[in-house]
Amino acid sequence: MERLLDIARKKAGKVEVYGEKSTSDDVSFENSKLKDIESSIQSGVGLLLMQDGKVGYAYTRNLVDREGLVQNALDALKGGAEADYDLPLTKDVPELDTYDGSIEKLSTTGMVEECNRVCGVFAGKTSGQLNTSAGSMTTEVRVLNSAGTDLNTKSSSYYAYAALNFPGSYSSIFRMVTGKGFTPLSDEDTSYVLNAYEAAQKEVKVPSGKMKVLFLPSTMYTLVWRLLAATGGKNVYEKVSPLKDKVGEKVMSERLTVVDTPLDDAWPGARAFDDEGTACRETPIVEAGILKGFYFDRYYAWKAGVEPTGHGFRPGVTSRVSPGLEHLTIEPGKESFAELLKAMDKGIIVGGVLGAHSGNLLNGDFSVGLAPGLYVEGGEIAGQVKDAMVAGNIYDTMQRVVGIENRVHPGYMGRFPAVLLEDVSFASKG
Amino acid sequence: MFDKLRDMLAGVDADYADVRHEQMSETKIAFARKELTGLSASSTDGYVVRVLKNGGFSSVAFTSPDDATRAAATAAENAELIGRTIEKPVRLADTEVVKDEVRPELDEDPRKIAVDEKLELLRGYNDIPLENEKVATTAMGYADLVRNKWFLSTEGSEVYEELITVRVRGNITTKDGDLTQSVRVAFGGSDGFARLRGRDELVHERTGIAVDLLKAEPVTAGTYNAVLNYQLAGVFTHEAFGHFSEADLIEDSPTMRERMQIGAELGNTVLSIKDDPTVPHQLGHYRYDDEGVAARPTQLMKDGVLVGRLHSRRTAASFDEPLSGHCVAEDYRYAPIIRMGSIFIEPGERSLDDLLGQLGDGLYLINHMGGQTTGENFTFGAQYGFVVKGGKKERMVRDINISGNLYHTLKSIVAVGKDLTLNETGGCGKGQVNHRSCFGAPHVLVRDVVIGGK
Repeated sequence: MERLLDIARKKAGKVEVYGEKSTSDDVSFENSKLKDIESSIQSGVGLLLMQDGKVGYAYTRNLVDREGLVQNALDALKGGAEADYDLPLTKDVPELDTYDGSIEKLSTTGMVEECNRVCGVFAGKTSGQLNTSAGSMTTEVRVLNSAGTDLNTKSSSYYAYAALNFPGSYSSIFRMVTGKGFTPLSDEDTSYVLNAYEAAQKEVKVPSGKMKVLFLPSTMYTLVWRLLAATGGKNVYEKVSPLKDKVGEKVMSERLTVVDTPLDDAWPGARAFDDEGTACRETPIVEAGILKGFYFDRYYAWKAGVEPTGHGFRPGVTSRVSPGLEHLTIEPGKESFAELLKAMDKGIIVGGVLGAHSGNLLNGDFSVGLAPGLYVEGGEIAGQVKDAMVAGNIYDTMQRVVGIENRVHPGYMGRFPAVLLEDVSFASKG
Repeated sequence: MFDKLRDMLAGVDADYADVRHEQMSETKIAFARKELTGLSASSTDGYVVRVLKNGGFSSVAFTSPDDATRAAATAAENAELIGRTIEKPVRLADTEVVKDEVRPELDEDPRKIAVDEKLELLRGYNDIPLENEKVATTAMGYADLVRNKWFLSTEGSEVYEELITVRVRGNITTKDGDLTQSVRVAFGGSDGFARLRGRDELVHERTGIAVDLLKAEPVTAGTYNAVLNYQLAGVFTHEAFGHFSEADLIEDSPTMRERMQIGAELGNTVLSIKDDPTVPHQLGHYRYDDEGVAARPTQLMKDGVLVGRLHSRRTAASFDEPLSGHCVAEDYRYAPIIRMGSIFIEPGERSLDDLLGQLGDGLYLINHMGGQTTGENFTFGAQYGFVVKGGKKERMVRDINISGNLYHTLKSIVAVGKDLTLNETGGCGKGQVNHRSCFGAPHVLVRDVVIGGK
């Protein structure tokens, strides 16, 4: 990678080299039986050049032909995408504890044993179909640039989940755990899945109307996704975000604090620098309901005339960097899960959603099918609603928080508590 | 290349092994408003090895040929581990040994078109919405993707196939005060660059819709009868029915298998559904899948009765059903899984006017905004629609999400139009993306769909 940097520097004023390597193993069980083991050994190098106010990017999986890669990036640069931001000189970033060496000793055999253990926990206790998986991954990232930055990080991650599927469906009750190293599904996790599944057996008809709705940590991304779209540097720069002029204003309930915590290495994926070598820092998006700011990579920060916030990430070498929140959390509240159900008394739990990606995301609108939707009565799960949807606009819905769970769980897009909201529009055939 | 691949498998102690090598190159161009935000041309490659040993089947994806030995050994170890653990050994259905080379017929090869010409074509399309003062922003992208695939198995198959896909895809966002509306525009295919030329009219039309949506009313939540256009009927067919025709999704679910039994009367008698990747000049065309099995037309539903399904070699053996040639990987990073190639509702005899007349009062819903399913329920978004009164289109409505029960809805499709249209861009996700996933339908009339409004 140093040689690539040297060759490229002779051709362009600003050069960024990004390298990644990863290995992963995934074990999956369906219907309590081992189904698949898949492994992957991947590497890649991305090269970004800037010269005369223009930018070019190219990548390869195998760094053999360095001159060829430089030429590809130069060809792309000639096309004329404009960019003239500074590459950072980042040094002395905090040392984060992101790698648990025990992951190297965790074999596919070990993960098969763990899944077998989980199958044993459920055996004989349910009529539901159990699907369970475990997987481990190690990732190395290195960022080098012509300003003198040379940073690297190595991280490990592990996940496991258990899901009980409803008959004739892939709608399920599930729980996932993650860690830097092996993390067993706890008794609490498995008994939650078992109890919620059994309680949801009865199909209940619930008429359409406004009601209390509890989003689980695993479905909070439905709401969070809209907030991410509205606070990302690209949409803010293009002035299409409904939040663009609202920094300092109350945009949701004062009980909600949404913050990106890249330096928190208690959970996997912590980063001291982003994929462009900008130092990462804790970034509040919403604090006690007040919009605090937006997140940028270097390109959109340059376009918008603001400082980059350390949020330039890419899903892999084949993609250019874009603004992303990779370590997001919502601060937990005071209520236990059982207390939230009590506070709800009667309402709907969003156990899974269909169609979170459709609708006018940028506007904050959501309208999702429930898969499953659990009906709560007298503070307990009393059955399941089918053919039902919840809908709203997050800047309206997230004003009406009744309660927030006192712990966070890993979900899509971050770690969240369950959040209880009231007066949410519910539609069904009931 | 085949010699190199043969060497990779030479040391593997297995009952069966195959290796796929892919060289992939892509050109991507992106505009956001007036600005060119990205232009890249890159090529890359990688390998996937799969091993069947002692009744276990496992795969390893790798990018460096130096890792070939380690990858094959890992796949063999994992296969043995599976073989030791499972009760019913994995078998692969017998298939013909094939030696073949396939290159697509193209109307203009994108590899021979200068990047400047691609850029100017895209700039032209991007300029169309920007001329309208209500348009706040555009995101417009060009992509061409060339995959050269070599497949070799220990049974002796050696297949080389090129897959070349082009597309223009974007979003047109309009704004009025705090309200924004966004409309997708997408076109392309797998039969050459010429398909991307001369599409101004479509971009103008989509711009007009994005502007009109600012004045449209949010739909009122409720249960409606509706006519769905080809995209919505196609995405329903793909999401709510097609995925459960993929044998790997139901293989280990006894309850799903029971529902999806051959002979089950799942649909209304007007409904026949087929998946056919063999028809050329459509997005989903290919000759061989990533197990070296020739793709074949597969009737999935005939007059409402389930008559077939999509298979890999593994599932064809496990279900004891014929091979279909539908085991396909996104690219060199993945082992193949069962994918739809080109799924569509077969056309009936009714015109759109007939269907609207039969509808009477209800909604006419147009174009999809993504969908999802659990196997029993589905939800997908409609781009826009019209309230229909007495068979006549009236005011435009927006913010439309449709939800329903798969089985009820298949029965509730009561009339099928004659105007079959296939979509031109793909992007189905199932852990990995299928950029050539093609679906289509004629207009259809559906009774009792749940619409979640705002």
